[in-house]
Amino acid sequence: MKTENLDSRPAVVFRDVVKAYHGGVTALDHASFEIARGETVALLGPNGAGKSTAIDTMLGLRTPTSGEVRVLGMVPADAVRAGKIGGMVQTGGLPEGAKVSELIGLFRQLYRGRRSQAELLELAGVTEIAARRVEQLSGGQTQRVRFALALAGRPELLFLDEPTTALDVEARRHFWQLVQTIAERGTTVLFATHYLDEADANASRIIVISRGRVLADGTPAHIKAHTATRTIRSTMPAPDPSLLLGLPGVTDVSVHGDAVTMRSADADATLPALYALGLPVRGLEVGGGGLEEALVALTTGDGRHSSDDGDHSSVMTKAG
Amino acid sequence: MIAFLRFEILRTLRNARFLIMLLAFPVLLYVIYAKQHGTSQGLTVASLLLVSMAVYSGMGSAMFASGPQLARERQNGWMRQLRISPISTRGWFAAKLAQSILLIIPGLLALVALALTYGHVHLAAGRLGLLVLVLVLGAIPFCALGLVIGLMFDGQTAQVAQMITLLVLAFLGGIFIQWSSLPHAMQLIGKALPSYHLAQLGWNAAAGHALGMTDIAALAAWTAALAGIAVWRWRQESTAA
Repeated sequence: MKTENLDSRPAVVFRDVVKAYHGGVTALDHASFEIARGETVALLGPNGAGKSTAIDTMLGLRTPTSGEVRVLGMVPADAVRAGKIGGMVQTGGLPEGAKVSELIGLFRQLYRGRRSQAELLELAGVTEIAARRVEQLSGGQTQRVRFALALAGRPELLFLDEPTTALDVEARRHFWQLVQTIAERGTTVLFATHYLDEADANASRIIVISRGRVLADGTPAHIKAHTATRTIRSTMPAPDPSLLLGLPGVTDVSVHGDAVTMRSADADATLPALYALGLPVRGLEVGGGGLEEALVALTTGDGRHSSDDGDHSSVMTKAG
Repeated sequence: MIAFLRFEILRTLRNARFLIMLLAFPVLLYVIYAKQHGTSQGLTVASLLLVSMAVYSGMGSAMFASGPQLARERQNGWMRQLRISPISTRGWFAAKLAQSILLIIPGLLALVALALTYGHVHLAAGRLGLLVLVLVLGAIPFCALGLVIGLMFDGQTAQVAQMITLLVLAFLGGIFIQWSSLPHAMQLIGKALPSYHLAQLGWNAAAGHALGMTDIAALAAWTAALAGIAVWRWRQESTAA
């Protein structure tokens, strides 16, 4: 069941955004993306990639150095003031001394009662802990209370900055179930994570960012295809790059003397074929699969890779 | 804003330890010294000390009601969460000031009650009313000072910064030691501080003397300056960082 939205403006416009901090750190480096209404999008990247800066910018907590940021067709600060967006920022503690019910009651009133207390408690799964003081909550409970606060204004657009970091598996699963319920009711959700599996399981689209740039933007299947890439390293006498490039799954080969580094989209197919060539392969290592590896694959595995550093080394990449 | 104020007061009151600590010191000092004989500035020791301790308690409560908590909650991220809610800057400041003002009242009432009973202080209702009014309104610059400290320091250092500030204000302002017995250079500094002017206003109110316009103007100037700094820090933190 999706809410009808007559407003066709994108939920988020993030155009050519640069954020440079004092001291020369560039957190966002001409990053651009758009998010349509009703999408659930993951902002995936390693720590320090610029995810939090991007989310803070969309929440009006930071001003970009240059570029355009619009949420629901508005300047972020206006959308916040109008109570149209909700968010869980990355380091967002709770006020000491308050009880869960008081805190949620306060936020209900700040948003002029757009949701009832009972509904909010229910949506965030905190009904049983409503009488507790915030100091007594576990990590998972704290995050769910913060989730309730983010939902208090019945937001059209919800930002979640690494909401499940530091939660155990069970708390994590519970949390994402709650997010899913909200998304199914038509709320646009943008969440940041550095876990590929979390992005894959909970988003319909993944935007990969690293060093402040958007590296990839596509469906989880598309992103995962890149991350399935494994790096195979070995040594063999006088390796022939073009022969190796012909092996199943191999997308790129680089040779430095006896040392060979191959990238393969299907290591399970590549390895038997490699051994079948009957070459004296030694010191074989298969690595990769992590997000960092995926990012390397995304930045270098796009067919434009052509570093050639000397007589004894060469790099070959399959076209396409 | 009312909802926010109620929420803030409720949770602050729950931290009873903080309130007791704030109250205990001036009450204890009053109990120890109020029975001394003598008069000064047309006031008995018991009356004089009521004003001193009430000023001290008012300054302390006003500053501690919001400052260290604000510093901790800027650090733990609660303030960021609050900033992405529709609460306005003006509403937040108004609520914080109101919170600080309201939290000086328990200490003030306790000291007045103690003075009237234990200290045998006899003040006409009019004088007493004016004194309470002076002490409450005069606490406003210290509320702003608490916010400034809460916005400038982190959770660990704000408490210490407040304690030092409070002691400097109390000693140089002539609350713990007679101002006229301070070294000359310190007198000059003391005379510039809001604590000095609030104490003067308090003693004048209790003695039935006219309130000094200079004292009122000085407190107003301090309020404006400190509120300006607080708003500047708030804005700076909400956009630049």
